[in-house]
Parts: sequence; structure tokens; C-alpha cells
Amino acid sequence: MLFSDTLHTALEGLKRNRMRSLLTTLGIIIGVGSVVLMVSIGTSFQRYILDQVETFSGDTFEVNAKGMEQVGKDINTITFGDVEAIRNLSTVKNIAPAIFVTERVQYGTKQIAPYIFGTTKELFANWSMKIGEGRLLTDADVKGAASVAVLGPQAAEDLFENQNPLGKRITIGSRKFTVVGILEEIGSPLASQLESIVYVPFTVAKAMMGRTAYVDYISLQSTGDNEMTELDITTLLRQRHNIENPDNDPDKDDFIARSFAQATEIIGTVTMSITLFLGLIASISLLVGGVGIMNIMLVSVTERTREIGLRKAVGARGRDILLQFLFEAVCLTLLGGIIGLMGGVVLGFVLVLVAAKFLGTIHYTLSLWAVVASLATSIGIGLAFGIFPARKAAQLTPIQALGYE
Amino acid sequence: MSTPKHIPLIETKKLCKSYFNDDLETPVLFDIDLVIERGEFVAIMGPSGSGKSTLMHILGFLDHHTKGQFLFQGEPATKMDEDTLAKIRATRVSFVFQAFNLLPRTTVFQNVLLPLLYHPTIPAAEREGRVQRAIEAVGLSERSTYLSNQLSGGQKQRVAIARALVTQPEVIFADEPTGNLDSASGTHVMAALQALHRAGHTIILVTHEQSTAEHAERILKIYDGKITDDLRSFKRRHAKDGITIEK
Ligand SMILES: Nc1ncnc2c1ncn2[C@@H]1O[C@H](COP(=O)(O)OP(=O)(O)O)[C@@H](O)[C@H]1O
Ligand SMILES: [Mg+2]
Repeated sequence: MLFSDTLHTALEGLKRNRMRSLLTTLGIIIGVGSVVLMVSIGTSFQRYILDQVETFSGDTFEVNAKGMEQVGKDINTITFGDVEAIRNLSTVKNIAPAIFVTERVQYGTKQIAPYIFGTTKELFANWSMKIGEGRLLTDADVKGAASVAVLGPQAAEDLFENQNPLGKRITIGSRKFTVVGILEEIGSPLASQLESIVYVPFTVAKAMMGRTAYVDYISLQSTGDNEMTELDITTLLRQRHNIENPDNDPDKDDFIARSFAQATEIIGTVTMSITLFLGLIASISLLVGGVGIMNIMLVSVTERTREIGLRKAVGARGRDILLQFLFEAVCLTLLGGIIGLMGGVVLGFVLVLVAAKFLGTIHYTLSLWAVVASLATSIGIGLAFGIFPARKAAQLTPIQALGYE
Repeated sequence: MSTPKHIPLIETKKLCKSYFNDDLETPVLFDIDLVIERGEFVAIMGPSGSGKSTLMHILGFLDHHTKGQFLFQGEPATKMDEDTLAKIRATRVSFVFQAFNLLPRTTVFQNVLLPLLYHPTIPAAEREGRVQRAIEAVGLSERSTYLSNQLSGGQKQRVAIARALVTQPEVIFADEPTGNLDSASGTHVMAALQALHRAGHTIILVTHEQSTAEHAERILKIYDGKITDDLRSFKRRHAKDGITIEK
């Protein structure tokens, strides 16, 4: 049989069994489409969240008193002495202590209650914060306890709306500050809290809060090996706080020292498992699609076995039959696979686009393995269940196949 | 000098056939000895269940026998591989079934074209002409774009005959071709077979009706899987239908 005849016969076969072709294709479209859609949404959001977190440098650490996170608790365990001791560790650089000022900020009739960090210039570098307008805090500001403030972009907007805040005088508590800088926007909803922080010199906060011994927060960077840095800080603070903790039980410590890389890792694991979960759900529809394909293929075996018997009776060879059914199955599965793939990509892309309206920049991400795995599965099922019954039927004598019930 | 030994078209020697279902053996044909020459019109006649179809399927290469010999132009069928069998089915024999066996939801033209797709030597350029001539020969030119399920039983059987003659095979087998038809359609079909015979084809017809068998030149009677009679048809019937089939 001529190759072109086989191809033509296969296409005729698809047309003649229009319903079966349609349902098979649909099964594959749904299977491939849903996997591609779900996984791409999962990975897009995973990447989005990781991008947000990774704005912070991975070797930035933070140290604070345990229980700091609990609202309303005032637990002080990290002393000025701790700060100096940590500063002297060889695995630590860029240390920035912070004291929180719990006062309101006012300009004219506008009043806000942001986080106010009394800190040093190193904090900005550790948090990868860039100056938008004006300048950052300087060592001279800290040394001279200058009444200057740097505003997060959200804080600036809340206080000044459309006016230029630079050089304006704001009130924090009962003290007047000159606005010397506004930070650049990060532009991510995850960082929205950071955008409304107000920064003042460490020494000013210390005086305002009447602190003589404790800081609220330390930001620092490791000089290279995060694990070494963490070990050094932990050992040092346990020693200074007289904590016996040979088993490394975090419950016994009165402080927390952790790197942003750890946080990133945890978030990465969480989002990854969400992607896997979505992928699992999609795999179920892939399976359902696959079972559908099997059903349709097997149900049509009776009629097609008679067709095979007839073709053999008029001279078809086994390989003519196999090639015809192979073509049929390839056409259906390829068509279904391509439509499913495109449908899944387009739908996912639109959803990500819509989400981006609310969440800022999201890059559409599609992992190759999802495409390959879903295509391979559904095409494999389509081919197997298209060809296997045909192969069995082609091995019968024409009479056996014609009499098949 | 010795004259070359005469080789008949079809010859069987002690041919037996059993069906096997789950190790259960059903013997159907017993020691069939038979010679059919080129150009004969043979009717195989016998009651229902006597093994007519079984014998015909074996002679037409649609099924295997289980014992004895079946020679086609002197070649034993048991020595032929699958490709040779397929080639014989494509080029030298063809079948008209009682149940028509047309491709469903397919036009008359496509149905008649089918054997040509598997024919190893007829060039693609000749196909359309051959199909049209075959359809014309059975008087269905007007219907060539009809789907097979839009035809009457008699028309379906004529499509099957057109399909059987489109490759111009040496032997045409017809298994109760009038069995599902009214007598007018039956006459039409028998006329077509007689026309094919006149055009030089060997025709082997299976029937359980004496009147149908009488269209043939020779009648083989089969009873319980054995040949009981081998007769010339004396009062041969002629189905007049104006069908002519070119040689
Ligand atoms: N596939 C089969 N398996 C078992 N027995 C069969 C099969 N086909 C036919 N038979 C039996 O073989 C016998 C002859 O059948 P068949 O050749 O169709 O007879 P006829 O065509 O003369 O009516 C019958 O008894 C039938 O039941
Ligand atoms: Mg029969």
C-alpha cells in the first residue's frame, strides 16, 4: 500500500468515526490542558513569591529577642553589649542595630502610625533598599543624633500625597524631624509593610525611647558561609546569656537568629508543594481523560475489528492496517495535544495577566516537564489504545475478524 | 517428450477443518477432495450448517484448514506466508458476502475503491476509471456518491459485486449473495455473476437453494461436511438483466 494511501485512509477513518475522534481528542485536550494550566499557574506564582523574597540578599541575617513577634509583648534580651560582641565576630559584617519608636507621625493634619526604625545606614544595604529621592541616613546623622527622617514611599504618600516631602518638617511624638530622603518603591504587595516604614537615626530613637541597655532588632550580613555565621552568633549569644543548650533546642534560647535564605527556602518549599498539589489535581484529570480515551478506543473495537477483517479480506497486509491505525492515533493525539497545550498556555497566561493587575509583575512560567509529561502520558495512552486493539485484530484471520462480535 | 502435467486452479486432497473454542474441537469438514478448473461456474449447495461457508472461506484464503491439502495453482496454501496470502487476496480472488460487509458511512465509490488501495500493481491513475466501470457494470452509476447505509439490500450486494470485480480477479467467491434479497434483486445479482462468468472469471457460488444453484454449470452438493454429489447443471437458468461485463 502506498504511504499516501495509508495517510488518506487514516484521515477517512477519522472522518467516518467523527464522534470517536472528537471524544478522543477532547480527552487529550482536557488532560494536557489542565496539567499545563495548573502547573503553569503554580510555577508562575512560585516564581513570583520567590522573586519577592529574593529582593533581600540571601546572606542577610536578623537577630531579635524571642517573642518579639508577639504583639503587645515587650521582651528585651538583646543588649548593646551583644551588639558589640556580634560586631566583633569575624563571620559578620554590616551590622545595623535597631530600636523601634512607638510614636505617631504627623504632618499638618495628616497622622499615621507606621513602624519607626531607629537604625544605622547599614540596614538599607542589608535590605537592598535604594534611595529614591534625597539621601539615606548617614554615620554623621547617627553620631550627631540629627533630627532627620527617611520615609518609605508608602509613608511619604500617606503623609504628603502629591507634595514633595523633601525638606518638610514632620512630627514624631513631640519631636520635629526634617525629611531628608524617600526610598525607592519595591512595588510588591508582599513588601507593602516595608514601604510604609519611617527611619530615624539610631541614637535619636535610643533617646526618645529612653533605652540604656536593649535593642529590638539587629540586621547583619554574613561574610560568606551562612551556617558558620549562624553558629557563631548562636554560640556567642548563648554564652553571653548563660544558656546551656547542647541539644540545639530553639525553645531554650531567648533569641532568634536566622538568615533570609532560610526564610526563602521555607517559602520555596511551601510554594513548591502548592505547585505539586495543583499538578496532582491536574494529573487526575489527565487520568480521567486517559480512561476516557481507553473507553472510546475499546468500545469502537467491535466495529473496527470488522473493518480490519474486511480490509484484510481485500488484500491488506498486517502492516498496512497497523500503519493506518498508527496514523489515526498520531493525528488524534497530536491534534489533541497541541490544542490542549495551547489552550492551557493561553488560559494560564490570561489568568496570570489578570492576577498581575492586582499583584504587580508576575512572569508567566511554564515548566518543560509538565508539558513533556502530560503530552507523553496522553499521547502514550492514545497511541497504545489506538494501536494495541488494532494489532490484535490484524493478527486474526479475515474471517475471525469479520465474525468478531 | 512428456506433456507438462495439468495444474488445476483449485485442488483439495482430504481437506479437513475443525473449529476450536476453548479446547473444544468442532469438526466441520471431512476429507474434502475437489478440483475446480479455470473458468468454471460452480455452485456449492447444501443445507444450512453443512459447512459451505467454511469450505468457501478456506478456498478464498480467508481462513486456514486444519488437515489435508489445499493447492492453489499447484501451490500448497500451508506453505504461504502472511504477505503471500495478502497478495493473493488482493490480486487473484475476491469475495461477495451474504452480509455485504460494506464499510459503514462510506460512499459507494470509496467502497468499490477499497481493494485497489491494497493492489500491488494497478497504478493509482487507473483507479478512478476502474471503479467507475465496475459501478457501471452493476448498474449503480447514479448512486456512486451515496453512503452505503443509504442503499437497499440489493443495491448493497451489487456494490459488493462491483468491489469484487474491480481488481479483475481470477476467482470470485459469492456466499449466499441472494440470501438477504428479494427475488427481483436476487435475479439482478445472479445476472451480474453470470456476466462475470461470461467475461472469463471463475465463479464459486454458495447457496442452499436449488433454484439459485441452477445458475451455475456445475453443482457440488455438501452434507454434514462431506461432498455427496458433483453434478452438471442440466437445466441451466439464465438471469436476463442486460448486464455486460467486459473481459
Ligand atoms: N467459528 C466457529 N466456531 C465453531 N463452530 C463454527 C464456527 N463457524 C461455523 N461453525 C460451525 O460449523 C458448521 C458449518 O458452518 P458453516 O460453514 O457456516 O455452514 P453453512 O455455511 O453451510 O451454513 C456449523 O455447524 C457451525 O455451527
Ligand atoms: Mg453459510
